[in-house]
Amino acid sequence: MVNPVLLIAVPLGLAFALPLFGFISKRIEKYIPVVGMSFNLVISLLLIPKAMENPIIVSIGGGKPPFYINLVAGPVGILFSLIIAVVGLLVSIYSLSYIKKGATEKYHMLYLFLLVGATGVVLTGDIFNLFVFWEILCISSYALVAYTGEKSGVESAMKYLIQGAIGSSLLLIGIGMLYGLFGTLNMADIAQNIDSVSSISIFVPLVFIITGLGVEAAVFPLNAWLPDAHSAAPSSISAILSGLAIEVGVYAIARVVFTIFGAESFFLFLCFLGLLTLLIGEMSAFSQNNLKRMLAYSSIGQIGLIVFALGIATSYGVAGGLFQIISHSLSKALLFLSVGYIIYRTSSMDISSFEGIGKKMPVTSLAFTIGAFSLIGFPPFVGFPSKFLIVQAALAKGEILFVVFIAFILIGTVIEAAYFFRVVQAIYFKKEKNNSEKKEAPIAAIIPMFILALLIIGIGVYPKLVTDILDSAASEFLKRADFIRGILG
Amino acid sequence: MKILISIILLCVIALGTGLVLEMIPFGEPKTKIGEYYIDNGVEKTGAVNIVTAVVLDYRGFDTLGEITVLFIAAVGLGSVLFSSKKSDKDKKQEPASLILSTGCRFLFPLILLLGAYIFVHGHLSPGGGFQGGAIIASAFVLVYLGCPGIRVNKTGTKIVESLGGLIFITMGLLGLLFGGYFLLNFLPKGIAHTLLSAGIIPIIYVAIGFKVGSELAGIIDNLIGRP
Amino acid sequence: MIDFLSHYIYYIGAFGLIFIGIFIILVKHNLIKVIIGISLLDTGVNLFLISVGYISDGTAPIFSSPDMKAENMVDPVPQALVLTAIVIGVAVLALALSLAIKLYKHYGTLNLRKIKEMKW
Repeated sequence: MVNPVLLIAVPLGLAFALPLFGFISKRIEKYIPVVGMSFNLVISLLLIPKAMENPIIVSIGGGKPPFYINLVAGPVGILFSLIIAVVGLLVSIYSLSYIKKGATEKYHMLYLFLLVGATGVVLTGDIFNLFVFWEILCISSYALVAYTGEKSGVESAMKYLIQGAIGSSLLLIGIGMLYGLFGTLNMADIAQNIDSVSSISIFVPLVFIITGLGVEAAVFPLNAWLPDAHSAAPSSISAILSGLAIEVGVYAIARVVFTIFGAESFFLFLCFLGLLTLLIGEMSAFSQNNLKRMLAYSSIGQIGLIVFALGIATSYGVAGGLFQIISHSLSKALLFLSVGYIIYRTSSMDISSFEGIGKKMPVTSLAFTIGAFSLIGFPPFVGFPSKFLIVQAALAKGEILFVVFIAFILIGTVIEAAYFFRVVQAIYFKKEKNNSEKKEAPIAAIIPMFILALLIIGIGVYPKLVTDILDSAASEFLKRADFIRGILG
Repeated sequence: MKILISIILLCVIALGTGLVLEMIPFGEPKTKIGEYYIDNGVEKTGAVNIVTAVVLDYRGFDTLGEITVLFIAAVGLGSVLFSSKKSDKDKKQEPASLILSTGCRFLFPLILLLGAYIFVHGHLSPGGGFQGGAIIASAFVLVYLGCPGIRVNKTGTKIVESLGGLIFITMGLLGLLFGGYFLLNFLPKGIAHTLLSAGIIPIIYVAIGFKVGSELAGIIDNLIGRP
Repeated sequence: MIDFLSHYIYYIGAFGLIFIGIFIILVKHNLIKVIIGISLLDTGVNLFLISVGYISDGTAPIFSSPDMKAENMVDPVPQALVLTAIVIGVAVLALALSLAIKLYKHYGTLNLRKIKEMKW
């Protein structure tokens, strides 16, 4: 059995060694992230059968928790590291030809560090270790948003940095309060002793930690940075940020609320927050003319839907939320990758400049259409079973309040369909303004788009591929006592 | 208006934190892992400085994350301030005063020696890799201020930074190979209070010291601009 | 009153720095002042973490002579946490300063009210 530490240690070593590879030959630098993420993909696939029976607990430094840091590679951890490996690998293949200008060696190093940070957040079992890997994720994304060096990129990165720095400090205050109250930093240890203090002194650290994590996870009042950052970054980085970074933020919130605090009264608040985020995101997306900004607001809306599904807190609900995470990562990555080359060819981000692209870049436009339909939730694509599962979970709860919530979700879906159809209509059915020649995206960009489309259609038609791991993951979140017993014995 | 909202928000937060801080009395022993580390630290790890034992042996993974963050800051700074064209104007730097330009030449090796002393003795007295590295970087800042025109070698700093990180990861993987756990302290512990004790801790601290020193010097070099 | 103040002075000082830092970031328009506010916020949080670990009449957890007792040593764990947190704070500050230099080259001003090219 392979050790899950290799999922973090080997890509980190490759990223440190990248400048040394650069001394040998400048041309192999861009292949190193591809090698690192392929390694992660293979190791995650090998670990799936073992992780689904019992979470694999690995200690770092050779002792027993809570005195040593431990990694928890359970179904949730392996599922997320699989998503990170797949999307990271495909976007790194796309970047082989997309990133030509600027300090490309530094881009590839920062890209690999971002993915290592995300993998570390989902695999760790210690709360200060979560903070350290969270900072790795956030700081690499600040530097990558400013990569192009233009006005909009640097300004969005500065605003993102200021809000992210406040969020990280609030998270650290919450961790300090938890250490002062309980005397330990291990997640399972804190979860075991959570009832020994009064509930007001649990509520305040919970609020600090959720606010700190919520800045990166883009829940409602804290997501002012997201439209600017995701639209000003290079398109491969927008795909990674929308597809991986904010989902890892939602994972961190779920881990804190479900496993550490077990706060039952908090779940209804999560449902309200999710719904509010969904409506505000979708309505703001409807009035945009800039295509990448529209996609960024749509990400906010989808995060609202995921948080709502996690707040339902039944087995169907949590499984639906995790399925929606898979669906959103794949679809949003496909959308941003296709939009990247369309913007590169037309040199403008306005929807009106996309008219008639369907004839000049047929493969890319087809990819955009598949991604859009999957996000809305049409049947042969992966968005349909995930949204259906969420609606089923809300109906099974059996209260009138949740039926009202379902009505709001359907309104959100209708608004989504409206603004995506507007773009699809512009691409295929309008005449184009200037006659330029037909020029498709290069082969290094077509391969990842093709594989993503294949995954979207494949999982959509045959969801049985993922439902087993989703059910195990949902029960890891909901069955707290088993989790604690598995780690502390 | 904005000021009023901020003040009200901060007052509400202050009230909440006041309620929690009642539960965390100041000056009382509250932790169980702290006592475990103090009682068993010396025999288990061989390091006399318990903070070093916690940083590099019990919580070594956090230190790995920390050097990664510093590396990301140096690389990110280089990528943001990257410009492919040469600097336009010739900035005339004011020549340094007599005391500074004489002093920097003879203080530079002494400060490097102090920094090296601090990171080599990390497991025996207060100090360690990060502290020693910061002192080494301050020696380079003195040279930038006192002797204008001398710049640090960019290729050299790149090699030292990469090697420092690689040595840490290699030590961890060797622990995985020989003992079955990542970052296991597999070298012999030696006698406490001597220089060659505590297993892999001095080796990692020397690597971290060089790495942090060259990184911070590189950051200052990037912020000054091109010559 | 003085007794209460002297007993909790570390917590009051740490949270005072934190609140001043947050106030500066939310209210001021000059970019360098906001960056100084981020630095004050980090300093306040580190001071809070260290003061959680203090034990009355304790000394540094280093067994420098063979007859030091283990009873009156302070907690070593918050010191290790703060070491990491200080380095992370330095990293954020370095990146913020480089972005400020680049913003000044583009816009010619450091006033946050004028740096608003990205609209709704």
